Amino acid sequence: MPDVQALVNDFVLKLKRRKIEGSHASARHTAELLRSVISQQRMPHTNQAGALIDAVKAVGEQLIAANPVELAVGNIVRRVLHIIREEDLSSTATAIEGLGLSAGSDDDDEGQHVDHPALSAAALAAAARSTLRAPSLQTLLEDIPRSAVTPQPPSSGGDSEGKSKSADKNLRSRKLKHDVIEAINELIQDIDTCHEQVSEQAVEHIHQNEVILTFGRSRTVKEFLCAAKEKNRSFRVFVAEGAPRYQGHVLAKELVGKGIQTTVITDSAVFAMISRVNMVIVGAHAIMANGGVIAPVGINMVALAAQRHAVPFVVVAGSHKLCPLYPHNPEVLLNDLKSPSDLLDFGEFSDCMDFGSHGGSPLLHVVNPAFDYVPPKLVSLFITDTGGHNPSYVYRLIADYYSADDLVVKRRSTS
Amino acid sequence: MWLRSASFVLDKRLQQQEPSSFFHDPRDSAQPPPPSPSVDPMDQNPDPNPNHGISAYYQTRAEHHAVVSSDWLAQAQAAIGRGAAPPSGCWPSAAASSAVAARTGSVGGGGGKPFSVIDEFNYWRKKPDLAEAVAAIMALAAVIRSSEATTMMELEIELKKASDTLKSWDTTSISLSAGCDLFMRYVTRTSALEYEDFDAAKLRLIERGEKFGEISLKARRTIAMLGQDFIFDSCTILVHGFSRVVFEVLKLAASNRKLFRVLCTEGRPDRTGLRFSNELAALGVPVKLLIDSAVAYSMDEVDMVFVGADGVVESGGIINMMGTYQIALVAHSMNKPVYVAAESYKFARLYPLDQKDLAPALRPIDFGVPIPSGVEVETSARDYTPPQYLTLLFTDLGVLTPSVVSDELIQLYL
Repeated sequence: MPDVQALVNDFVLKLKRRKIEGSHASARHTAELLRSVISQQRMPHTNQAGALIDAVKAVGEQLIAANPVELAVGNIVRRVLHIIREEDLSSTATAIEGLGLSAGSDDDDEGQHVDHPALSAAALAAAARSTLRAPSLQTLLEDIPRSAVTPQPPSSGGDSEGKSKSADKNLRSRKLKHDVIEAINELIQDIDTCHEQVSEQAVEHIHQNEVILTFGRSRTVKEFLCAAKEKNRSFRVFVAEGAPRYQGHVLAKELVGKGIQTTVITDSAVFAMISRVNMVIVGAHAIMANGGVIAPVGINMVALAAQRHAVPFVVVAGSHKLCPLYPHNPEVLLNDLKSPSDLLDFGEFSDCMDFGSHGGSPLLHVVNPAFDYVPPKLVSLFITDTGGHNPSYVYRLIADYYSADDLVVKRRSTS
Repeated sequence: MWLRSASFVLDKRLQQQEPSSFFHDPRDSAQPPPPSPSVDPMDQNPDPNPNHGISAYYQTRAEHHAVVSSDWLAQAQAAIGRGAAPPSGCWPSAAASSAVAARTGSVGGGGGKPFSVIDEFNYWRKKPDLAEAVAAIMALAAVIRSSEATTMMELEIELKKASDTLKSWDTTSISLSAGCDLFMRYVTRTSALEYEDFDAAKLRLIERGEKFGEISLKARRTIAMLGQDFIFDSCTILVHGFSRVVFEVLKLAASNRKLFRVLCTEGRPDRTGLRFSNELAALGVPVKLLIDSAVAYSMDEVDMVFVGADGVVESGGIINMMGTYQIALVAHSMNKPVYVAAESYKFARLYPLDQKDLAPALRPIDFGVPIPSGVEVETSARDYTPPQYLTLLFTDLGVLTPSVVSDELIQLYL
């Protein structure tokens, strides 16, 4: 599979050079790349899911390392791993059920299966399913020392699989791959249509004659506002321009194009205007597991201003931005320092930045961070494609989308 | 208004039982006897633990964590109890267990000596490395072993009786009752047991119970792994009291060559902080010892607060050694994160609404000088920290926000 490796390298390079930026683009590309990785992966006879998981992990590790700040890449890798585990589980469950029934007629299988074929199959499937879930108090006393004995949950499927016929196995292997690719296609579709699902909820949140404040430009926010306008809500939008990229100007232009009353304000005017605002709606770069938000720089200030005036602070984001990691040290680890040319004109300031004078270091420094971390207590509501959620509920969403084993995949493979 | 709450009635009753500790001047006899509260539900169900001066839960803590020796404790107890306490050297647990053994004798088998779940529990909880919940589950496993029941139902009833005995023997220990509940829940609800015959199920239960010690140790390691990620180089950590889990986290972080500094509170009156600082210093971690009242003074050099927990309640708040609440308040007001390290078997189905809403765990306090007559002493050993002051909980179920705790508990006991 040399061509897959070439694709991977190409993507890694693009990520490193920041050719692909923004969570939507990187999420979509990652999903597509992993789809081709899986489709070209040769399947062994035993433990196919394990092979797929290993392949995806190997690629995922490279991608995550290429640009650790682009959290959507890691999210999609984990989502795909979760999909593989889930598909494998469902196929194992059906296989065991079939096995148990055939065992009842053939009498060549373990006594347990002969006794209660359907029951034991159900119990096994339940046990296997519980390995996918995060550990809970319920399973604390049960005897599945998961992490110690079975690195791959589907190993129970592995040995029962050995008993089934080879023709059947061939069929199953193709089926697993097929199912996984199908599920990834669905995932890609979800990533593309998440804006629509988010903006469907717009009329529930934006009311007549309200004043909305937003910051910079986010595609999700734009779609959200436009959807409310299409349902004939009339409202006013304040757009903070979002220095230094001034994406707010672009958003303002787009909103005016849709016929929404728009006011552009400077970032520093946010606090002055916030008392007139009914709701703040912003996009996000990533939503962390504790309900905190990584967002374009400046949004923490908006959130603090909103809190000061008790204005609801709403974050709209697709579910591919849900990140199962905790921000240990978000200001440092999860930030990107951009080029100073956004702030200053090199030509004009070249003499201040002269490395020749003052002992090799210039007197003028420019810091241009890309992201802010907004702590969960400042966020009033998350609107994702599955509905509106409180920050304290984010862990539940994460438990739905990711399996507990994959959260540490990055660290385990790098160490 | 809280004067009328049930917990206050309980508090008052305890004080009335030992009036000599507070009033022992001649006026005492002249005083009319305090009017007994007309409704005291606790009177119908007297606490089987006869020594109200010190909670059994607290004795275990003192034995495991304190620098002070047990004979010091006995002396202090004699000084506080003023004759009401049993003679020093004879631990109330022994007295209690012999008292309860008579009642619970029916639980035991037909051996020469009647089996007592309390004795069993006391045997296990003396081991320094075992948490109280583990001791409880070990004791319940022993109940199963000595049981002569022939059906699952019978066994369940026996276990229920034993766990009720354990729980009422020491009403102050949260992890004891949480451990009992967890094991009972496993016995009654595990679907895997339904497919096996009785003997196999019994063996399986015993085996699971006895493995629980390992599970608990593994839980501690998991928590250490999760917790140490949050420790970054050159940070300053404030810890309060002695917690095995917190120590494990710091130990792992130190062995991963993280450079950090620890501020230890003294942890009056049993001065568990001294032992903690001692053990940290042995690891080569820079430690500074504070008196408990210096927390606010030094909070601005602190980057995070790490505490353990005696119990995690349904609201997501914690019950921990006295002083945790004020540390959390100070940390909250200075915007410092408060991290709690606690094993998941400490999750208890309690929902305290205020500080007085729990059976107080009492302990002796040595003020160094005799306490003047007519002065009351607050002897409660722990307080309740509401969830809004906690940032994250590190448990073996993962890193959780306080709101997840209720979710886990609801899933378990639904």
